[in-house]
Amino acid sequence: MASENVSTYKLPIGPVHVGLKEPITAWLDIDGEKIVNATIRPGAIHRGIEFMARDRNPIQVISLSERICGICSFSHVTCFVRAVENVADIPVPSRAQYIRALVLELERLHSHILWAGVACYSIGYDSAFHLGMLLREKVMDVLEAFTGNRVNYGMGTVGGVRWDVTSEVDKTVREMVSFYRNEFDAFYDVVTEDPIAKARMRGVGVLTREEAIRYCALGPTARASGIRCDLRWSAPYEAYGDMDIKPIVPQDYYGKAYGDVFDRFLVRVLEVYQSLDIIENVMDGLPEGPLMWEPKLPKLLAHLKKADGMGWGAIEAPRGDDTHVVRLTGGQENVTWWKVRAPTYANAVSWPLMFRNNELADAPLIINSVDPCISCMERMLITDRSSDAKQVVSKAELLEKCREKTRRLMQS
Amino acid sequence: MPCRKDYVKESKDPHEVVACITEKFEKDVSIDIFREQKAGIKNETQFYEVWLTITRERFLELIDQLFEFDFLHFHITSGNDDGDVVTLYYHFSLFRVAEQGKRLGMTVGVAVPKEDLVMPSLFDRIPGIEYSEREIREMLGVDFDGLPNKALVFLPEDWDQTIKPWRRDETGPGPEVVRELS
Repeated sequence: MASENVSTYKLPIGPVHVGLKEPITAWLDIDGEKIVNATIRPGAIHRGIEFMARDRNPIQVISLSERICGICSFSHVTCFVRAVENVADIPVPSRAQYIRALVLELERLHSHILWAGVACYSIGYDSAFHLGMLLREKVMDVLEAFTGNRVNYGMGTVGGVRWDVTSEVDKTVREMVSFYRNEFDAFYDVVTEDPIAKARMRGVGVLTREEAIRYCALGPTARASGIRCDLRWSAPYEAYGDMDIKPIVPQDYYGKAYGDVFDRFLVRVLEVYQSLDIIENVMDGLPEGPLMWEPKLPKLLAHLKKADGMGWGAIEAPRGDDTHVVRLTGGQENVTWWKVRAPTYANAVSWPLMFRNNELADAPLIINSVDPCISCMERMLITDRSSDAKQVVSKAELLEKCREKTRRLMQS
Repeated sequence: MPCRKDYVKESKDPHEVVACITEKFEKDVSIDIFREQKAGIKNETQFYEVWLTITRERFLELIDQLFEFDFLHFHITSGNDDGDVVTLYYHFSLFRVAEQGKRLGMTVGVAVPKEDLVMPSLFDRIPGIEYSEREIREMLGVDFDGLPNKALVFLPEDWDQTIKPWRRDETGPGPEVVRELS
């Protein structure tokens, strides 16, 4: 591309930081300020955890799965243990199902609020960013009060959960729900009221409905393109089996789904309110009963050793459906094989489509809009192939470009 | 080649789907798992999951048959080195947006003999499969006929491509490339 057309630059963003299972480099072909094409190169730090699992029993793999992602750690654990429970035919007590749903929704709150804040930051809306960081602390405090940890909760186990909802936890969670009902409206206002935010996000990074279907987009990314998909609705698991959850799609609110960054913002903000409702339902409907199918670990391991077969866990994580597949062989302690597919794996395939014909200044916002944890986008390298000159653009400079565009809009 | 580009609005009963497949593919298909997924306080069946195995020769025909039911939403390909064959499992969803609780998990297993490790690519039917086919290619050494971009996706650029990380035979990673961290 660059060699045929001297006006095109090739510009890599990333690889992103080690914190993510999919640290991704985006190679952008730039013509002036316009992104002509994009190539994605993941795998800068593939850790091979699926390979590591072959030397571990299912209970040990829980700790591995918890460390796949720093935000949806419990989503991965739930997904993995559900796959194992499928193989070993282990029923989960209903109280444990409800507690799982509760933590999954707390995690979604955390993820979406953090994302909304970071998205505001990348367009230079700093007051909303700081508000996002402030609001996010509340749910992390609740998770810490509940499980003792802010990120890796040590919550899930095969056949149940490890921490119970005490009356103090109940009180803290309910307090949090009313806190968010009062305070989160600022983000709703960003979406619906602020003309500058709308100007920055409307029509940017479009993924059409047909593309989203063919490229297998997931979660809020797919829903923003108008696809009414949500595993909590189409394949209810855990406590969602007792609830009536409707997928949130922009056409229900604005008459039409554009599939742009604005719609992705809207879907996530509305899902925060949906999560608050679900959390309240869970707390109200929390049944009494045991937390685990088998609390004695040696007995559970003996049962798992006998299990033979394959299981597939798929749940709606904050960024889309998370899929784990597990093979256990009878008589063997360790997991025979394990496959993890985090939502960003699937959503990253549609990135090149979103970048096309957008401005370079919008690139950080578009990358952000899929919520791929690129907080550590360290620096970029601009290569001018025609003169063989290289220029390193720091993250700060690129971010400044993105924010300057907002300032231009505000002046005009 | 299926021309379906959107999801269907009405689902089919999973038993009907399975009956239709077994009738058409007879001895070339085997239904390995038909699982009811239960949840909730009453522990009622919420949705179904089907695992089947098909011969490689009739794989594309089966995929086209599944496309008759709905646009086949692709999740992931998993797989394992099973001695003489590499077994691949394609995980799909049918009726993803049809009705509440109607999603049907559909796993298609195919045994690929080691002397001829090639599968037809599904890229032209489902472009979203690209990363997964590239991943299986580099991790298990199964080539995909019709996949336009066969570059490495997760392994580093300087990786010795004769080593296939998920294989358990002589092409798998030997002790010299595995670093114990503890």
